[in-house]
Amino acid sequence: MNTLMRLTVANIRSLVRDRAALFWTFFFPVMFVFLFGWIFGGSGDGKVAIGFVDQDNTPVSMGLQQAFSQVTLLTIQTGSLEAEKAAMQHGDISAIVVVPSGTGVAVAAKSATSIQLYIDPSSSQVSQVVEQIADQIASGFNLQLAGGSAVVGIQQMTLQSTNISTVAYLVPSILAMALMQLGVFAAIPLVQQREKGILKRIGATPLARWKLVGSNVLMRLMVAIVDAVVILGIGLIFFNVQIVGNLLAAAGLVLLGAGAFLAIGFALASFLKTEEQATGVVQVVQMPMMFLSGIFFSFDFLPGFLQTVARFMPLTYLADALRQVMVNGTQVAPLGVDVAILTGWLVVCLGIAARSFRWE
Amino acid sequence: MTQSGEPVIGVANLCKCYGDVKAVDGISFQVGRGEVFGLLGPNGAGKTTTIEILEGLREPDSGSVTVFGMDVTRHAPSIKQRIGVQLQTVSLYPRLTVTELLDLFGSFYAHHLPTKQLIDAVDLGERAKARSMNLSGGQQQRLSIALALVNDPELIFLDEPTTGLDPQARRSLWDLIKGLQGRGKSILMTTHYMEEAAELCDRVAIMDHGHILEMGTVPELIGRRFKERAVFFDTSPKLPVEQLGKLDGVTRAAVEDGQTVLYSRDVAGTIGALLGLTDQLNIDPHNLGIRQATLEDVFLDLTGRALRD
Repeated sequence: MNTLMRLTVANIRSLVRDRAALFWTFFFPVMFVFLFGWIFGGSGDGKVAIGFVDQDNTPVSMGLQQAFSQVTLLTIQTGSLEAEKAAMQHGDISAIVVVPSGTGVAVAAKSATSIQLYIDPSSSQVSQVVEQIADQIASGFNLQLAGGSAVVGIQQMTLQSTNISTVAYLVPSILAMALMQLGVFAAIPLVQQREKGILKRIGATPLARWKLVGSNVLMRLMVAIVDAVVILGIGLIFFNVQIVGNLLAAAGLVLLGAGAFLAIGFALASFLKTEEQATGVVQVVQMPMMFLSGIFFSFDFLPGFLQTVARFMPLTYLADALRQVMVNGTQVAPLGVDVAILTGWLVVCLGIAARSFRWE
Repeated sequence: MTQSGEPVIGVANLCKCYGDVKAVDGISFQVGRGEVFGLLGPNGAGKTTTIEILEGLREPDSGSVTVFGMDVTRHAPSIKQRIGVQLQTVSLYPRLTVTELLDLFGSFYAHHLPTKQLIDAVDLGERAKARSMNLSGGQQQRLSIALALVNDPELIFLDEPTTGLDPQARRSLWDLIKGLQGRGKSILMTTHYMEEAAELCDRVAIMDHGHILEMGTVPELIGRRFKERAVFFDTSPKLPVEQLGKLDGVTRAAVEDGQTVLYSRDVAGTIGALLGLTDQLNIDPHNLGIRQATLEDVFLDLTGRALRD
């Protein structure tokens, strides 16, 4: 086993044996996923929420509503068409069933009529499920009332759901937050080791310094991948957040993000002298990013001037890129711009660290 | 003492400045193969700068510095393979065990000793699986010495190896260092403790303000400065130093740590005169005693201050 791998193993052992570090790197983001998942998730049981709009108000429309309510996979909310459309656009519901006025009269006359089903074709899995359910209910209805002749048909409407569900929004965002903290917090042990003279003393051994840094980077990139698997796994298992995008692209983004924030951590460590300073400054850097980069609520909800501030924060772009690739999130910036900005931070901060980092 | 062949360390007219401060100001010394050489001096004397230049951690401003006959600035990598450095801060990884740390450090070098052998050499067998953060102060120092021995070095740098240890732990560490000396290792050490230097070092150099003030074996240094022995007793306000300086045989009188010390060429005469004086004043000199001058006295005489301040 070569020196770099031995050092990396030593780093991993140190992390695994350090309960406080374990808490911050793994349990803190996991806690956030559960906390916000439960707060915003609502249907954490894998159910699909749909809106039901009854414009008919006849026994027929009520019968239809009852039929939809009895499907265990669905949760039903009722309201006006406008309200339900808004809810769907916001991602609170995945489909809308509309029973237009006159349906009851048409069914009584056994003349053909149709109910409308609004779905978002871009979230194909959910759309298919809802379509099938609606088909079954319609044919069951036809069998019961009209002896099998197709009285009630389904008219498919599309409505672009411009927003993904809150939990689907949160899972990649919290992953971005975890990667940010993983990188930025790397400044603290570096400053600590320099302050204690450990970096200088290591310089008295033949160990090449890049290996010391490299092992630290390797360890943190591995942790980044583990973090991603754990957070996305919890999102999938407990909150049914599907990863729709290319997994390789997602992994690439996780590594790029972790790398960019590690570079920021190293650049910070170049200017900080004491451990107390480092702990303080790291918080000053990470706290505003955590709250302003659109992690816990959408970027659009920020007042204008804070949006401007957030546009300077690298976390905004990592979270945006991860949402785009993982859950088809609406973009703050095009994916290419996100990647370019993160790469820029990586290169510039690495340059600063390479120029300014002091070993003693 | 056991010098032979060319010196392992050769320093000539070494200078190193930090801004306007001359940390090391034209020092020269040599350390022979198998020799234990001590650098003594207060904080800020320039000891650490000197050691760090020898370890290849800093560049000298001027002067020549060689280790194993090689220039330290040009051959740092190959020198580092052959020297051992004791880390005052024990470990990069406080959560790794003694065994894991020794294995890791061993991998930094082209050749290294078996971990088991190192653990036995510093008598840490029972703590081999303990995390380094859980070791006692003495055990941590033992570990840091084991880490310095990982590559079976020919030359070992020990930077205040016993600072902060209780007397028993210090004694046992001294035995360990004497063992290294017995195996023919060359050692350059710094210390605050005169007793330690007297016990371990073949030769010492006393440094202050970047200069070497005095260099030689411990008996040489004492003999060069003090033909006298010292009469000492607890300082009393009724016995002013100025007056005591005029007693028979006294060459110099001083107050150190609450004790009055009279350096005397004629101890019998001085004690007689002192007791005559105390009889007159009707007081008893407490804790009266006689001793040889020590390295501590040499240092005080050279610099006008105690070493550990």
